[in-house]
Amino acid sequence: MIFNSFHFIYFFIIITSLYFALPHRQRWLLLLLSSCYFYMAFVPIYILILGFTIVVDYFAGIYIENAHGKRRKLFLIYSLVANIGILCIFKYYNFINTNFSYLLHGFGVSNPIPYLSILLPIGLSFHTFQAMSYTIEVYRGNQKAERHFGIYALYVMFFPQLVTGPIERPQNLLHQFREKHHFDNNRVFEGLKLMIWGLFKKLVIADRLGIYVNGAYNYVDQQDGMTLLLATIFFSFQVYCDFSGYSDIAIGTAKVLGFDLMTNFRRPIFAKSTGEFWKRWHISLSTWFKDYLYFPMGGNKGSVPRWYFNLMVVFLISGLWHGANWTYIIWGGINGFYLVFAIMTKKYREKFNTLTGIKKLPRLHQFFQILITFLLITFSRIFFRSQTVEDAFTVIKKILTFKGSIFNDGTAILLYSFFAISFLLVVEFKKEFYKGSFTLSHHTNFWVRNSYYSLLVIIIILFGVFDGGQFIYFQF
Amino acid sequence: MKKIFMNNSFKIFLLKVAAFFVVVFLLDFMIGNLLKKFYFRQESGYDFLTTHSLENAKADIVIFGSSRAVNLFNPNIFEKEMKMTCYNAGRIGEPIFYHYAVLKSVLKRYKPKMILLSFDAGNFSIKQEAYDKLAVLLPYYKTHPELRSIVELKGSHEKVKLMSNMYPYNSLLLSMISGNSAYSKNKYSSPNGFFPIKKTFAGPLPTFDYSIEKALDSIKINTYRSFIKDCINSNIQLFIVCPPYMINSIGTDASIIQGKKVAQEYNISFLDYSRDTFFTKRIALFADFRHLNEKGVELFSNKVIENINVIKGLVH
Repeated sequence: MIFNSFHFIYFFIIITSLYFALPHRQRWLLLLLSSCYFYMAFVPIYILILGFTIVVDYFAGIYIENAHGKRRKLFLIYSLVANIGILCIFKYYNFINTNFSYLLHGFGVSNPIPYLSILLPIGLSFHTFQAMSYTIEVYRGNQKAERHFGIYALYVMFFPQLVTGPIERPQNLLHQFREKHHFDNNRVFEGLKLMIWGLFKKLVIADRLGIYVNGAYNYVDQQDGMTLLLATIFFSFQVYCDFSGYSDIAIGTAKVLGFDLMTNFRRPIFAKSTGEFWKRWHISLSTWFKDYLYFPMGGNKGSVPRWYFNLMVVFLISGLWHGANWTYIIWGGINGFYLVFAIMTKKYREKFNTLTGIKKLPRLHQFFQILITFLLITFSRIFFRSQTVEDAFTVIKKILTFKGSIFNDGTAILLYSFFAISFLLVVEFKKEFYKGSFTLSHHTNFWVRNSYYSLLVIIIILFGVFDGGQFIYFQF
Repeated sequence: MKKIFMNNSFKIFLLKVAAFFVVVFLLDFMIGNLLKKFYFRQESGYDFLTTHSLENAKADIVIFGSSRAVNLFNPNIFEKEMKMTCYNAGRIGEPIFYHYAVLKSVLKRYKPKMILLSFDAGNFSIKQEAYDKLAVLLPYYKTHPELRSIVELKGSHEKVKLMSNMYPYNSLLLSMISGNSAYSKNKYSSPNGFFPIKKTFAGPLPTFDYSIEKALDSIKINTYRSFIKDCINSNIQLFIVCPPYMINSIGTDASIIQGKKVAQEYNISFLDYSRDTFFTKRIALFADFRHLNEKGVELFSNKVIENINVIKGLVH
């Protein structure tokens, strides 16, 4: 069941009505059953995998809490091995096997290990990471082990964020299932507004841009450099609107029901450095890696080379988290390199800024910082979007030659795309630099607010792409 | 439960939601009707040609098909050689669903003497895109009841979406502006639905194989079957024609095999030029891999007419 479907609208209306109609003590059960239904609407059998991790981590949490000394660590390791093991089997097995085959082929030996014919369970990386954060936090003593199996299962399966996050922490989410949520007018409207804005980003912007991007990236050999350049820029906006749109709908849905999920995006388009970008983009994953991988490895506390090493490892693993393909690993590597390079060149860049006097023009300076960050991130996304590493290099080569003209299969696609991006930029610019002023979405007058959201719905009906399909991050 | 739904906060919520839907409904009604007016006022462009095919065209010979119909079947040649009026009701990129919908509307108005259905490799391949493309018929859903069952193939919730007055014109605003402009009238209009491609293919012969798709869509096959049956029931002479490609595929396309098989079941002529050596590899006759250019079209149209006349027994 995807958020941009009628199936979800019906589901949401029914579940929300039932939720507020039921007494508090029965609500967890409704949420758990509806989450099971939500997940099983994709591939029903995969609920068993989810069930397995839930059982393992539920008991692991209790055992970790009850154990002392080395046994605590042992139970944590069991839990992590089970979670990562599932990821390895369902997500990385064939990838590892393929690379192993290449390696053996180099020695003239054929690979005897068979391939698995399996589909990747939807959102596996998301709920596995959420489950892992629970056992780690219990081990660290930051979270008490949850004794109520249903509540724990709900923590992993809560339908708004089950398949594409935000990846929650137990300290933020678990206690909310025990709290009584009253029907709160303002809260419900805030949630619905977020849902409309999320749908707008998905249907009007992301899926519209996706038409051009898919046309270009699915046939990179047949495209000219200018087309691929435009498609790459479009993809940068597409992936942002697709993913942040999903997050907005997820956070909005949860808000209507009375839950607060963590913020996942803070207008990354306006990041002034790649470091800042990662504090604004997919925050729930960035902070997960920071808390559970980067800091435990030493973060920036050791020597400088060790710091660089830690950054590179985190980003390479982040790449691998996204997908079992070298394109994602390279994408992660490039982003790790950006951070390392930024640290290495900090002094020189400051000197350059002083020399050129650009610091005296803060707005211009900021503009260039935002532009350069956007271009760097967009460049790395060539690997993120390409099907193969070979395709990615073809795209880069073609873009660098600047040859050819922009493919234009009907001016309307391009015009709608430019309109969509402009609308997004205006809204995000206002939110970033003029927060609180000229606000329509939160105007004090009800009819102004009402008209603004009615207009968004009208634009969705008139310009939305209703056949766009799934969200990009579902595959992870 | 009663407490929650009867408290003031919930009543205010309901009132606000109702106000929101009233505004949306009013805007939808007003904008939708305005768009309807502009849509049917178009004098050029592909949407105008669809309206013309559905509501006005009354030629003796009607040609159906996608771009290979629109660009390859010149009605002027057919009119001249067959002494009958001819109209090209094809539409670029559209699958069999669209052609069948247009046929149903045509048959509701009159009975053409002859129908030519252009057939392509991959016509029956499984692609969601083919269903999405039914969007071009949404503006006619309310006014042409005969199309409804076909339009509803687009998705299970189309009926709900079509409660909106604006939805049928989704993503059509720019094409409507163009269709109402003088610029488009010069560029995208054709008195008989034919749009020749004037360029000649430049470049080496392509090497790809277009016969690779094996799985076929049974809904498309059934629609094709219905197309044939409706022509037979209306006593219309039907010829199914597969125009040439620039290169030969390695194997025969599964859709072409199936298309021939079904045509044979109903005793309908299936004229297959897809591997006709008169055309293949003669790049001077092509605009691209799938489409003949003006020169190629002339040769092709004459060849089709010659074959039809042989089948009809007019030439021995």
